[in-house]
Amino acid sequence: MSHLHIPDGVLPPLVWIAGLLLALIGVLVSAAFTRGVGPQRIAFQSALGGLMLAVMAIPVPITAFDYCMTLAGPVGILLGPASAFQVSFVVTVILALMGQGGFTVIGLNALVLGIGSMTAAPVYRLLASRMKRPQAVALATAFSQLLSSVLWIAVLALSVKLSPTTAADEEVHHTLRWLQGGALVALLAPLLLVAVAVESLLALGLATFLDRVRPDLLPGGASGAAVPPDESPESRP
Amino acid sequence: MINTFAQIDQYASAGHTAWHRASALSKLLFTLVTIGVAVFTPTWGPLVVFLAVAVLLALTARLPFKLVLLAATTPLFFAALWLVSRWNGRLDEIAVTALRPVVASVVALWLVGTTPYPDLFAPISRVLPRVVGDSLFLTYRAVFVLLQRLERLWRALFLRGALGGSLRRRGERMGEAVGTVVLHGFERSQRLYQVMHLRGHSGRICGCRHWRDLRAEDVWVVVAFAAVLASRILLREVGRP
Repeated sequence: MSHLHIPDGVLPPLVWIAGLLLALIGVLVSAAFTRGVGPQRIAFQSALGGLMLAVMAIPVPITAFDYCMTLAGPVGILLGPASAFQVSFVVTVILALMGQGGFTVIGLNALVLGIGSMTAAPVYRLLASRMKRPQAVALATAFSQLLSSVLWIAVLALSVKLSPTTAADEEVHHTLRWLQGGALVALLAPLLLVAVAVESLLALGLATFLDRVRPDLLPGGASGAAVPPDESPESRP
Repeated sequence: MINTFAQIDQYASAGHTAWHRASALSKLLFTLVTIGVAVFTPTWGPLVVFLAVAVLLALTARLPFKLVLLAATTPLFFAALWLVSRWNGRLDEIAVTALRPVVASVVALWLVGTTPYPDLFAPISRVLPRVVGDSLFLTYRAVFVLLQRLERLWRALFLRGALGGSLRRRGERMGEAVGTVVLHGFERSQRLYQVMHLRGHSGRICGCRHWRDLRAEDVWVVVAFAAVLASRILLREVGRP
């Protein structure tokens, strides 16, 4: 649900051009926040990006249907907002090269995936002081997945609204009515809830494992570090 | 998905056609311009020629026909919902909406199927901030290793009956399995950093430098580019209602 999978030439240019511009701004801003990071940190965030891609490739038989996870929430919590957005951008670029979504929708995909991932860390911090950390990870993941899905639906609705109406004016209005009607609730809401539940359960299992084996990797853990310490030569005294 | 990409990666690295020898820069520019032109083309006439050019490029690059067919049909599947929602009985509009993503997908397949990833990522990483550019290379390297590990783990879980039980139990077990891969990724990143440090890593992955070296084979890319532009100009009225 948090990945568009829409190919090139379908969405109206106004939507995907705005998406590309916003994503590029996001990349530049996040790069400013992570300017001083060393190679080890880059290697770690790349490993998590690789894991996101690997996990997306494996269908999980949780329900009667196979579901492809994104790990956007846990990755956002482990890396923090700025790096999470960068990872989302890189993952989206590689997905586009794999034919999963077009080149022109890289920006929109990165925004949908990245904004969800970015919000997971602050939500987790808010919740971690009030409950056990694995539960906080699961709830933050649920929030992140929900936000991504809402953004995904918003992009589609906006695209329908802004589509050229050369001869299909009536069709667009019809589609909008359909989207606004009960079909949206009937079709998308159950799928959305299943996706959120699956992703949260997996995040719970992942966080329980990390909390037991390497608590220092989770923010607020034994060492209080969310990320591996930067051991690059330039960071040494 | 990843297996298909591994196959494409193999063709990109092991191929010896003229397209493989052409510079990554010219191929990347051709791909971006062709996709850009296709996306803004309002009639099906030029799009049919773009598709013919794209298929010709892919087949002359010795990419398997099945792969080309897969690239051509995958975006159609994803665009189906949109096509249905836009259905108004006008085949020309439907054809335009269907042809655009197919052209883009086949051209993209030709690009990634003829360009090894260091050559492909090198120009892209030049325009991205350092941390993102480096991450592009390292993520691509990591994905195949981690996927292999994840697939082995999934198979082991399945064989040992760990994928049974309640939804909650299954979710937690899979989460724990993913957790082991997260740890592996963390340890791998530490080893990778040490290896890079020992090999004198300067703090920036630049990729290879021959991605912009123009060669005689780039003439063919220019010819393809000319065919796309000429058809866009000459056939602009074909398909207009």
